[in-house]
Amino acid sequence: MAVHSQVNGTTAIPWRSSRRKLSLLEQLKGCQEAWCPGAPWDREGAHAAISGTPAGSFLVLRDSVTSQPILLCVSAGGENGAVLDYNIGNKGTVFQLNDSRLSFSDLAQLVLFYSLTRDVLAVCLSIPRWIYSVTDKNKDRLSQLEPDTWLSPPEQQTDEMTNRELSNVMCSIQLTSTNGALCIINPLYLREHGDDWLTHRASTTPCSTQPSNYRRERRLSTTRTWAGAGLQSKRAISLDQEPSAAFMESSGLTRARSADSPHCPPAPSTPVAPAGVVLRRPSQDSASRLPHRASTGSLQPSPPSTPGSLNCAASELQCHGSPVPQSPHRVSWIEDGVWLPPPRPSSLLQPPSLELDSLSISSIEEEQDFQMPSPTPHHPSAHRLADKVIHRLSAVGQALGGLVSQKKRLTNRVQELSERRGGAFAEAVKGFVEMTLKRGADPDGVTGSEFLQEVRSKLTSLRDTLWDLPEIQALLDSITDLSDPAIDSLVELSLHKVALKPVSAHLYSCIRTSRTNDGCFERLRSNLRVLEQNGVEELGGSAGVGIPDSVSLERIQQRWTAMHDAYSPNKKVQILLKVCKSIYHSMTANASSGTVFGADDFLPCLTWVLLRSDVVTLQQDTDYMMELLDPTQLQGEGGYYLTTLYAALYYISSFRPRLAARQLSVEAQHSLNQWHRRRTLHCNQSRRSVHRRTIRRQMCRVQNSETGTESKEESGRENAADQSQLQTESSTEALQPLREETGRGQGGEDQSQTSTPVLDCHQQEVIQEDRQEDRQT
Amino acid sequence: MSSRGSGGRTNGTLPQTKICQFKLVLLGDMAVGKSSLVLRFVKGQFDEFQETTIGAAFLAQSVCLDDTTVKFEIWDTAGQERYHSLAPMYYRGAQAAIVVFDITKPETFERAKAWVKELQRQASPNIVIALAGNKADLAEKRLVEYEEAQTYAEDTGLLFMETSAKTAMNVNELFLAIAKKMPKTDTQNPTHAARHRGVNLQDPDAHSTRACCGGN
Repeated sequence: MAVHSQVNGTTAIPWRSSRRKLSLLEQLKGCQEAWCPGAPWDREGAHAAISGTPAGSFLVLRDSVTSQPILLCVSAGGENGAVLDYNIGNKGTVFQLNDSRLSFSDLAQLVLFYSLTRDVLAVCLSIPRWIYSVTDKNKDRLSQLEPDTWLSPPEQQTDEMTNRELSNVMCSIQLTSTNGALCIINPLYLREHGDDWLTHRASTTPCSTQPSNYRRERRLSTTRTWAGAGLQSKRAISLDQEPSAAFMESSGLTRARSADSPHCPPAPSTPVAPAGVVLRRPSQDSASRLPHRASTGSLQPSPPSTPGSLNCAASELQCHGSPVPQSPHRVSWIEDGVWLPPPRPSSLLQPPSLELDSLSISSIEEEQDFQMPSPTPHHPSAHRLADKVIHRLSAVGQALGGLVSQKKRLTNRVQELSERRGGAFAEAVKGFVEMTLKRGADPDGVTGSEFLQEVRSKLTSLRDTLWDLPEIQALLDSITDLSDPAIDSLVELSLHKVALKPVSAHLYSCIRTSRTNDGCFERLRSNLRVLEQNGVEELGGSAGVGIPDSVSLERIQQRWTAMHDAYSPNKKVQILLKVCKSIYHSMTANASSGTVFGADDFLPCLTWVLLRSDVVTLQQDTDYMMELLDPTQLQGEGGYYLTTLYAALYYISSFRPRLAARQLSVEAQHSLNQWHRRRTLHCNQSRRSVHRRTIRRQMCRVQNSETGTESKEESGRENAADQSQLQTESSTEALQPLREETGRGQGGEDQSQTSTPVLDCHQQEVIQEDRQEDRQT
Repeated sequence: MSSRGSGGRTNGTLPQTKICQFKLVLLGDMAVGKSSLVLRFVKGQFDEFQETTIGAAFLAQSVCLDDTTVKFEIWDTAGQERYHSLAPMYYRGAQAAIVVFDITKPETFERAKAWVKELQRQASPNIVIALAGNKADLAEKRLVEYEEAQTYAEDTGLLFMETSAKTAMNVNELFLAIAKKMPKTDTQNPTHAARHRGVNLQDPDAHSTRACCGGN
């Protein structure tokens, strides 16, 4: 019922026990009389008081008879001083806004929630900043507060309480993966600075006088693994070298974010102690830092989107000093948007492998495999430091959860098993590699997607073999803190290393042959010439949408290269997601706040980027990913953006300026049919997905029978692998797809004939006729 | 990696709930408010239970119905005519679709009808289709009558609501209505399905359950 019983699982770590800091909820409850006044206050009075206050200022009114809270009055801000009313419902013991379905066990929780998320409100509620500074000692003052004090602009509240306390506010970590906050201290920091500061409230920040140690702080979001801490340090190091450009970019990010949370000013980019990722300390010397900060001209928080917003009207000290206590709660989507790493100038790029938005252990570890030499040899110190951080990071890793070691253990064990003479798995891997290398080379044999599908299918059986090994079972059972999908993906990755790595070059050459033969490359090249002059608006993007500048584009190219170099399809998809992310950044860079860019703009932007990239290589990479990715990995975000990449490439390769816009439909569908079959063909072979009864699977079966010879071998294997499931499936289920298939068949007889699959994009001329007809309807 | 907050807010054991995951595709002309609609839905919900995504073209959100958590993976499509042909790649395999039009632009309603037709012909046979007349806050500029769309929806067997991403009108309702219509037997959630080592109380999906049950 009550959604919000615990305050977001954040526990403030008391900085000094003598002055216990109250939770925001307690603080709110303490001054409930101020924001939820009783009798004399009515709607008119409240409106009069609220009108003209910054947006989000609010009061809750009680019913004069029952004393129950009935109305939430919120200032809409703006010049006309509008005040919005929201009725509060009270069902038994829960409170909710009448327009919303969320209910809360008490009023303070409701207020707290709506100060973080507006849900049905026009603006988030704004809670006066001074409330954060209330502690045990002065809490009795709270109850004496009046609505007028509550609403009064913060300038007038700079009383002694505020001044004294503010700098002392933020000392707890905001990482809330569990109820009790998880506290992470970077050991590097401890080594450098000792741990005195943990117990003594030192008056100076150790590094504050050294400009080269300026760091941007990046808060971890719950969705990031802890590894972010170390990565952050790494990023910070590289940032030291070229502060201004990077910061400039980042201000674009904060601007974009302010749309989401107009009342939480972007947390100032506070220079903090190295590795100050999680532990914040009050900074009392902030004033002394200001001059330097101003000289870099880059650390200014972006202006609030609503002028006069409570939080931002606060003093310089607050804006620039210790991290502004926005709230002890974290809202992942807000923060995530803000703290995305800013793109850096290409000249100073670390190899893409060191990109910091890949906040996972695997990316650090794995990508070292193909790390490129640094393009900037004149920054040796950065690298040395980065290495140091990595080592430290792995130490932290073992201390905290042991993720690294578990992963390593698994990878090593799989490697070992694959080399063990006479072992079942080793034999299977050996057989797979030999077979694969032989198969594709055979000029009469199958090529292209069919071949890759076979490879995928064999990979899946290899994985099953792996699962069957008691040693692996034991190892996996010992991993308790990872979700099943995460474990699946670990197993998959270690399998890629032993099985896919040796054959990936060969697979690429098969893809190349196949795509050359079907004319796809040719079409891509020639259409590229036709389309490359098109701006993003000519591609359909809306007017305000930004495109990557040359620097970002350069970075994207480097990522494409990294994506091409990776042998694991999973890894490739991760890199693809990073590219998409930076495209989003560019899109919103100059957009007015609040603008949302969905697929209407993303697809044109991605297409625009592709037109400036090596599409031929990207086509191969796309094929590789689509064919070889574990089908379960094709759901979700990765699946979406891979589909979009595929779609955009398809748009380019099939572009015919004179033909109707819908010309592609049939080929696209055909190709999709093929892909879809691929995606789902082996779903049911996976032991771990035994219960995944999707329409798709039946669909592929039907397709297999439709296309006849196409994949007898596969369907045979499939059936064998999967007998038990078949028994459980009802016949009706199996029949449904038939209907779908026949439906789909119309307009594309050619489709089912062409059992030469996927990598085939050239039947549009014939089919186009049908589509035209379709279009009339 | 189990990414979202876990364990934090639960004091007791969680009731066993069914988790259903569905792919929902968004179709409709350019600029009818597809993304805004979904964003309204996703961000209006409890934040903690939202999956972090890199952009608005793909969003995921769970809603809770009685004992079932329905997780939507929402695939947005480009509405421009020139990209129409790519849509099958997106709606392929989708179990639900929202076809959006703008009540102030009759041509977008026509386009929506075309989408519905195409979906009914080519998408999964059991796909749940909802028609959303968006921008209902601009009632004074209305050019598509409610009755007209309503009648069309009834005739074609669609869910229909007029929505406003701006005021949030009917946004949650629309998704809830879709969630109610989804066949709950289809547990596609890999997390759920693949569990072979017993129940994992840390399962983030299980937590979403609590998140969205707040209503009632």
